[in-house]
Amino acid sequence: MTDSKPWPALLSNVQLAFQGIRDYAIFLLQTDGTVASWNEGARLIKGYSEAEIVGQSFSRFYTPEDQLAGKPAALLARALQEGRVEDEAWRVRKDGTRFWADVVITPLRDRDGTLRGFVKITRDLTARKEAEEALRQSEERMRLMIDSVNDHAIVMLDSSGKVATWNPGAERLKGYTAREIVGQSFERFYPEPEIRAGKPRLELETASREGRFEDEGWRVRKDGSRFWASVVLRAVSNEQGELIGFTKVTRDLTERKRSEEAIIERTRQQAAVAALGLFALEHPDLDAVLDRAVATVRETMGTEIVALLERSADGKSLALRAGCGLEAASIGRLPLQLGSPEAGNGLRTAEPGQLGQQAFRMGGVLGGQGGSGMTVPIRASDPSREAHGLIEARSRAERAFRDDDVNFLQAVANVIAAALERRSMEEQVRMAEQKAAEERARASQVRDALRERDEFISVAAHELRTPLTALQLKLQGAERGLRAEARPLAGSTVGLRLNGALRQTERLSLLVERLLDVTRIAAGRLELSLEQFDLAALVRQVADDFREPAAQTGSELRLEAQQPLEGCWDRLRLEQVIVNLLSNAVKYGAGRPISVRTERAGERIRIAVTDEGIGIAEADLPRIFTRFQRAAPVRNYGGLGLGLYIAKHIVEAHGGRVEVSSRPGKGSAFVVDLPVAAVQAAGKHDQARVRA
Amino acid sequence: MVVEDDADVREAIAEVLTDCQYKALHAANGAEALQRLRAADVRPCLILLDMMMPTMDGWQFRAAQKSDPSVSDIPVVVLSAHADGSEAAAKLDAAGYLPKPVSLETLVSLVERFCAVGQE
Repeated sequence: MTDSKPWPALLSNVQLAFQGIRDYAIFLLQTDGTVASWNEGARLIKGYSEAEIVGQSFSRFYTPEDQLAGKPAALLARALQEGRVEDEAWRVRKDGTRFWADVVITPLRDRDGTLRGFVKITRDLTARKEAEEALRQSEERMRLMIDSVNDHAIVMLDSSGKVATWNPGAERLKGYTAREIVGQSFERFYPEPEIRAGKPRLELETASREGRFEDEGWRVRKDGSRFWASVVLRAVSNEQGELIGFTKVTRDLTERKRSEEAIIERTRQQAAVAALGLFALEHPDLDAVLDRAVATVRETMGTEIVALLERSADGKSLALRAGCGLEAASIGRLPLQLGSPEAGNGLRTAEPGQLGQQAFRMGGVLGGQGGSGMTVPIRASDPSREAHGLIEARSRAERAFRDDDVNFLQAVANVIAAALERRSMEEQVRMAEQKAAEERARASQVRDALRERDEFISVAAHELRTPLTALQLKLQGAERGLRAEARPLAGSTVGLRLNGALRQTERLSLLVERLLDVTRIAAGRLELSLEQFDLAALVRQVADDFREPAAQTGSELRLEAQQPLEGCWDRLRLEQVIVNLLSNAVKYGAGRPISVRTERAGERIRIAVTDEGIGIAEADLPRIFTRFQRAAPVRNYGGLGLGLYIAKHIVEAHGGRVEVSSRPGKGSAFVVDLPVAAVQAAGKHDQARVRA
Repeated sequence: MVVEDDADVREAIAEVLTDCQYKALHAANGAEALQRLRAADVRPCLILLDMMMPTMDGWQFRAAQKSDPSVSDIPVVVLSAHADGSEAAAKLDAAGYLPKPVSLETLVSLVERFCAVGQE
């Protein structure tokens, strides 16, 4: 039903109506697609003048591809079939450039329905098309970006809080696939108590009211585990300002949260250990320190059961020394043999141990009570020594312990070790002090006893002098009386007995004098009366006196003292020394030769008295110069044991010394070494007087 | 005159002196000595004075003697068992010192220095 006849009246009407329209190309096509009219909008959009295009086929507006595909004819056919066709697609201008066109083709029929042609209205939508394209690309980039984000969950919620979009980051973080979660309420990411408290609702309300809501808190994964999340919710509205949903960006800050918590916890633990250390320093009472240590562990670690086990003195068992969460009655009475497996690794390896389920089946150190625990040794500060014991912390509920917890418990154990060691040190110091005090008391007693003895000797010796005076005078008087009566003394019985009694009186006087010497030396009051004399002459004189007694024991006295030895000494005292040495030589000389020699070496004089007698054992040598000491047995050899003691002090008072060398069975040699002029050197109270 | 609390010593000294033709007075302490001195017909030529005696010791006797002009010029020789006897003698301004135990020889030669035979 096509008619190709021109339709001048219609044409002129259309041209009149649309001639001036610039925004739309509105023109007529004949039934075969030939351009029948043109307007200003068509000229502007497509670039052809009316003269150039009228009578040409409209297919030239199509791209070569569309032309090849038969699109122009197809569009006309569809318009006929459907009464109208709209198409958005690229079209071609006169100059060959393309533009995005929105085309509506409507068939034109007359009253009886005969097709007269088509009206074609074309809009240039290139600008809109480009904007749309830009938007599409931007959205595509955003989508790609969101999809590529792994560590952020970026999701859209609809206005009711149901999940609308899901990215791989969300899947990774929360464990749900998009298929599982899209359409579900975002509430399921919250812990149960928070859902009950209405927190998710409140967050959405806040975000929609204020445009934005930020929060950090625990969230729940699909598998029920928790993570510390940082959440930013933003409300999304349409152009009309109506809420259409929310964007929700979630980050997992669990690690950061844990490390923050760990730092806080570590600080708390360190403060607790410091407080405990201070307490230990200030409190000498060990039990108070141990109780405090137990309380510190319980409060800081939140473990209900704490046990401090000390190794027994014999090292073979552990005893509960302090604790909490245990039966009070068991404290002090929980012996564990160290050989038993539960008494642990801790002591054997001196390393901390964590008691897991395995350990609890074994009973731990304290016996099976379930939960989780940790045991550290109370190490001795001296690493070569065995640990003092163990400290065990345990909670009834299962829980994990961190390295920080082990370090904390070890630090507490170290404070305990220090306190235990301090106690043992104090104990040692106390015992040492006690021992020293006893020693001092004993020494003081010995000194007192010695002083009392010296005082007694002094008093006794002085007291003896008075009866000696009477005795001596009576005897001498009697002797003198006999002589006066001109009775021959020698040979007479009375005379011999009298002489004997006189000799014994002299001996008695001498003994009393020696005892007094001892008390003088002990009191530092040995006085010297110095005078100038020939010591060799004195030695010869004393030696002469001893010739006869020596001969009586069978000893020959050999004298080498010819050279005069002038010097300044106490004559009577040195005579006493030489007498002592010679009488010893005669006494212990075993009848063998005795030699007496004097010599001068520079400013020193030496007197040597040598015998070949019984000698002195080496062990006895150090004590022969001390008071009341004798190397020879008292039974065989009498005497007070004072001679050498006095001799040594006399020589030392002169600034000299006495030396002895001896071999048992071979004899002894005593050498007196004196300065030429006595140097008063000995006791601080000793005095020397030079006789004028 | 012998002033000595020990009767044996006093007696022994007196015997020796009598043997040597001296007349000896004796007293057991300072008080008795003073009394005898003042009552004596003949002044002694020497006093042998023990230091440690009951009632009145040597120090007290010497002080009393010095303050009594009638007897103050009699020489005194100190008789002592103690080592500090010589110091005591010096302090008492004594004429001499005789340490115990006293030998007859020393005693006689000392007395000879102060007394002619027959004197008290």
